[in-house]
Amino acid sequence: MKRRLFLASSLASLGLGGCGPIKDSLTNGPFRNVLLSTEKLNQSVIGTHGMARAYTDADVDREFRVNGLDTPSDDAYVGLVKAGFRDYRLVVDGLVERPQRLTLAELRAAGDRTQITRHDCVEGWSAIGKWRGVPLGTIVAMAQPKPAARYAVFHCFDRDQSGQSYYESLGLHQAAHPQTLLALDLNDKPLDPAHGAPVRLRIPTQLGYKSAKWVSRIELVATLHDTFGGTGGYWEDQGYEWYAGI
Amino acid sequence: MVGERVYRHGVTARTSHWLWALAMLVLVMSGLQIFNAAPYLDASDKSNPQKRVLAFNAGMADGHPVGTTTIFGATFNTTHLFGYTNDGMGAESERAFPAWATLPGPQDLADGRRWHLFFAWALFVAFVAYVISAGLRGTLRELIARPSDLPKLLPMQLYYLRLRRDPPPHGTYNPLQKVAYTVVLFVFFPLIIITGLALSPGVDAAFPWLTAVFGGRQFARTWHFTLMALLLGYFATHLTLVLTTGMWNNMRSMITGWYTLGKHDGVGP
Repeated sequence: MKRRLFLASSLASLGLGGCGPIKDSLTNGPFRNVLLSTEKLNQSVIGTHGMARAYTDADVDREFRVNGLDTPSDDAYVGLVKAGFRDYRLVVDGLVERPQRLTLAELRAAGDRTQITRHDCVEGWSAIGKWRGVPLGTIVAMAQPKPAARYAVFHCFDRDQSGQSYYESLGLHQAAHPQTLLALDLNDKPLDPAHGAPVRLRIPTQLGYKSAKWVSRIELVATLHDTFGGTGGYWEDQGYEWYAGI
Repeated sequence: MVGERVYRHGVTARTSHWLWALAMLVLVMSGLQIFNAAPYLDASDKSNPQKRVLAFNAGMADGHPVGTTTIFGATFNTTHLFGYTNDGMGAESERAFPAWATLPGPQDLADGRRWHLFFAWALFVAFVAYVISAGLRGTLRELIARPSDLPKLLPMQLYYLRLRRDPPPHGTYNPLQKVAYTVVLFVFFPLIIITGLALSPGVDAAFPWLTAVFGGRQFARTWHFTLMALLLGYFATHLTLVLTTGMWNNMRSMITGWYTLGKHDGVGP
């Protein structure tokens, strides 16, 4: 049985495997720009409307799945964890009138919103968490964006194995969505390091990779082209869509 | 009547037919690439291993890697084909569907999504163009099944099985064709598009009922996959019949539009 399957698989590989170079050249050749064009279409058709479904406590995954880059292990982050994030400051700067350096207490005092929403991973799985924190729009408004500001870029503590920092970005209208939170708690407890302590983004109207963990700084910018790979995020720089509403 | 040449398929119908054949191929292969990133299906809203209806896994047995497929709790050894299979990098590894069945071949979720989301639009355009053009030409009226076709289904099946000498009287399309085309066009195609949209968090927020009617996001993913399998089944049947009921005549009619009536074709509606 196994041998027959192997034979069938090998024959199919010989037949269709010849398509490999065709698949590669179509994926990476000039046709790529045609493929990429869909993103703007989807963004204009679907956009960021409505409210993600709210669930109840009974629906919550108590062991919320951990995914993405490893928890930061550099001295700076480990030091923050050891000190209970006493020295943590969320920096809000860039194209703003009033740059901010907010302690966790100041963040908690700025707003208090709880949401039980579903987290949809680009890989296909879903999990439900209870998130509590401050609406991102409140913090952005505190810093008073200059008229030229169009995007909020989230700089994070985590890095991949090559040393590239994780980052993400949202348009200011996405940032102002009432369900877009800077989450401080998950499932009635302060975020633990694996889930992005002390502050993570939570945007239930888009796929999980937009909900950046370990946020250290929010920078308001006019264009995404000047930050790292220029496409607006760590995964975006690796070919994923910036508009992750689909 | 037999031997008479008729202009059966208009230029829009033919173009959209080939476009959606291409779109189907790309969508199935890129869809399997996307599926590979979370190679299981649940009959639930959030992911829930207790509601799992299909899963592919890899493990070890007697020091050798094995791939398994679990459907409704029954596990099969599918090493080399599913679960542990060709990874498109010249080796075998943990992977639900093999590289020859996916687009791109090697593991690449980002590009799989790019292909899938682009050709989803192509399928949608082809579908709408076909329905409009076939509606205007009157083809749609000829191929939509009606209650009066139902009593003719069994005689037609018996004819196909050579248990009956003549097909029941019918129009351009026989009753089995009409039911198949009607279900594929007006049930499977719309549903596979809608279940695909139900997976999108942006669409979910804008139309929360859409995901709910399919039993939640993971359930919608399960329906989306099931509809793909049903459409593949239809495609296999369709292709078999194209090949066995006068391949050149059938192919020509879908390329030039002209079809030569044969003895299989019914006389009068």
